Amino acid sequence: MPMKKNWLRDYIIKRLFFALIVALGILTVTFILVRIGPTSPADKYLANIAARGQDVSQAVAAIEARYGLDKPLYEQYINYVANLGRGDWGWSFSTSMPVIELIKTHWIYSFQLIFLSSILGALVGILIGILSAVRQYSKTDYIATFFSFIGISIPNFWLGVMLILLFSVKLGLFKTYYDSGIPIFSLDNLRQLTLPVITITTGMLAGYTRYTRSAMLDNLRKEFVRTARAKGLPERTVIGKHVFRNAVLPLITIIMFDLGSIVFAGAYFTEIVFGIPGLGRISFNAIFADDYAVVVTVTLISAFLILMINLITDITYTYLDPRIRYD
Amino acid sequence: MTNWLASINYITGKVGGIRKLILILMAALLGVTILLDVLVVEKIFDPLGYLYIALGTLAVLYGIYPLYTSRRLVGYYWERASQNRLAVAGLAFILFLILLALIGPFFTTDPTATNFEEKNIPPLGFTIEESVYHPETQQSISKTITGSGKHPLGTDNKGRDLLAMIVSGARISLQVGLLATGIAVALGTLIGVTSAYLGGKIDNILMRFTDIMMTFPFFLLLVFIVFIFGPNLAFIVLVIGLTGWTGTARLVRSETLSLRTREFIMAAKALGASDSRIILAHLVPNVISLIIVIATLSIPGVILAEAGLSFIGLGDPSVTSWGMVLRAGQQNLDTAWWVAVAPGVMLFLTVLAFNFMGDGLRDAFDPRSAV
Repeated sequence: MPMKKNWLRDYIIKRLFFALIVALGILTVTFILVRIGPTSPADKYLANIAARGQDVSQAVAAIEARYGLDKPLYEQYINYVANLGRGDWGWSFSTSMPVIELIKTHWIYSFQLIFLSSILGALVGILIGILSAVRQYSKTDYIATFFSFIGISIPNFWLGVMLILLFSVKLGLFKTYYDSGIPIFSLDNLRQLTLPVITITTGMLAGYTRYTRSAMLDNLRKEFVRTARAKGLPERTVIGKHVFRNAVLPLITIIMFDLGSIVFAGAYFTEIVFGIPGLGRISFNAIFADDYAVVVTVTLISAFLILMINLITDITYTYLDPRIRYD
Repeated sequence: MTNWLASINYITGKVGGIRKLILILMAALLGVTILLDVLVVEKIFDPLGYLYIALGTLAVLYGIYPLYTSRRLVGYYWERASQNRLAVAGLAFILFLILLALIGPFFTTDPTATNFEEKNIPPLGFTIEESVYHPETQQSISKTITGSGKHPLGTDNKGRDLLAMIVSGARISLQVGLLATGIAVALGTLIGVTSAYLGGKIDNILMRFTDIMMTFPFFLLLVFIVFIFGPNLAFIVLVIGLTGWTGTARLVRSETLSLRTREFIMAAKALGASDSRIILAHLVPNVISLIIVIATLSIPGVILAEAGLSFIGLGDPSVTSWGMVLRAGQQNLDTAWWVAVAPGVMLFLTVLAFNFMGDGLRDAFDPRSAV
């Protein structure tokens, strides 16, 4: 047993080291992409300054100082990484404030949306999945499978638009636009988040239902389940304690990894459709304003968040399930 | 003379086979078109045309020709897949969509032609009340507009025919879906097979690179790149293809790992086959069934990615795609709901059809599900 601890520590160190390399990779790729782009961020910035009739020569000097465009490329790169590390994420000219301030005021709107939908999606998805697996090939199972196909196939942004059309425009049950004046921790806010949360959850739900179903089915056929039943345990205990506990670990991994792809992209669209002023929405606005710094930062933040989530998931998973050993 | 023939043999496998002929013909076609494009001022092909030729060659070499030579096996798989009714329905819808995209434009009007006299007409069979403001009398008069056969799906707020826009969108979605998936799957297969077969350091490097690529949230990366380089259909196809190969690479790699120690690979090695020949002529053909399933199940994601880009305003402005129509529809939900409904329904059905078909194919190819 004392072997285990050392092994785990080595694994964590190795994993952290790899995460560092990936982080550098992400920074390098974004740096290169922005560099080889047809118009440099400085040009767009200057064009914007000129369009507003402000003093261009002063802006030129400011940009030279900030990006160090006259310096060699490797120095620019080090500068770029160092600035990001210091929390200096650039200036958003379309909103006239530092990008970090913009992120600070808006992240909470994305967070509430992702938080609520993830919890709801995971809970309901797992429940339906369990039901579907326990009653395999029953009517419940077929209906659940059919709806999960629909849930996976329905375009997130279209579902949002359709929900607005039905519940807001035709039935008038909800407002058509998100009101950011309402305090976040209030019932009114929860009410206006109903449609957005349903929009994101639908896509997630479908995936979780199917994963849970197959993970449960894998374990239902195992011998320890037969033993548990043979020794006379009630079915509730067999399913809840013996089958589900074994199925839940891979599920957690899938749910965490999903956060990166499905949930982040889902939140991006949902914020745009419902006008929720989260990170997706500010990135969307920045695209139209040609506000480089904001678009770059939002992409970087999402990539780093996903990197961190993956890292934590991997380490927790290895810790919880000693059967898994990466070489 | 024999030298270049030998190098073609590496790729095609069979010495003197029909495959070699196909490859030479396609290469010649590509060469002639490029020559014509360079010499003649007027362009024959846009970049998408070249992609069609290149991917078409791959499809013929590794898909259609092997399928043709093993008709009995195809018949067996077809029998199994056709028992899944949803998969058959999916296939039927996809065929309908392809037909719509190919011949639809000949029967519809120009999707970009605006006509403000005929704006906001509802679809056939629907009637709406619209209040029209008269500047002279300063009064709003309620006017009834009924859908007609002239615009079966109605028109948008600029009087563009919705049916024409849907047909044009089908073309774009299918093009993007097939071409980008083709690039992604070809690249993913090559990386996955190479990584598994060569193993060691190369495997490590390729897989770590795949991990880095996978860390980027796919859609946000897409938004980022298209934002920087500007929206252009061929470019969007290329970017989706070049960023979307990671899943394929991983799945193909794990499949190849179990193949590479099998006897027929040993035999090929013992006979002195080179690495590239083993990869291209022995390993790749043996993961084709997996690749077909992956490709079918990847197309929906690619189609949705393009639609999503268009929806947030990063689509190619020179073409009419479903995402773009949906975006226009969302802005006029209270006056013309049908503009938002129609492209979304098509998108939904298309994605559903590919998902059903992919699922059916996976079951059909899976020997464990054989009775």
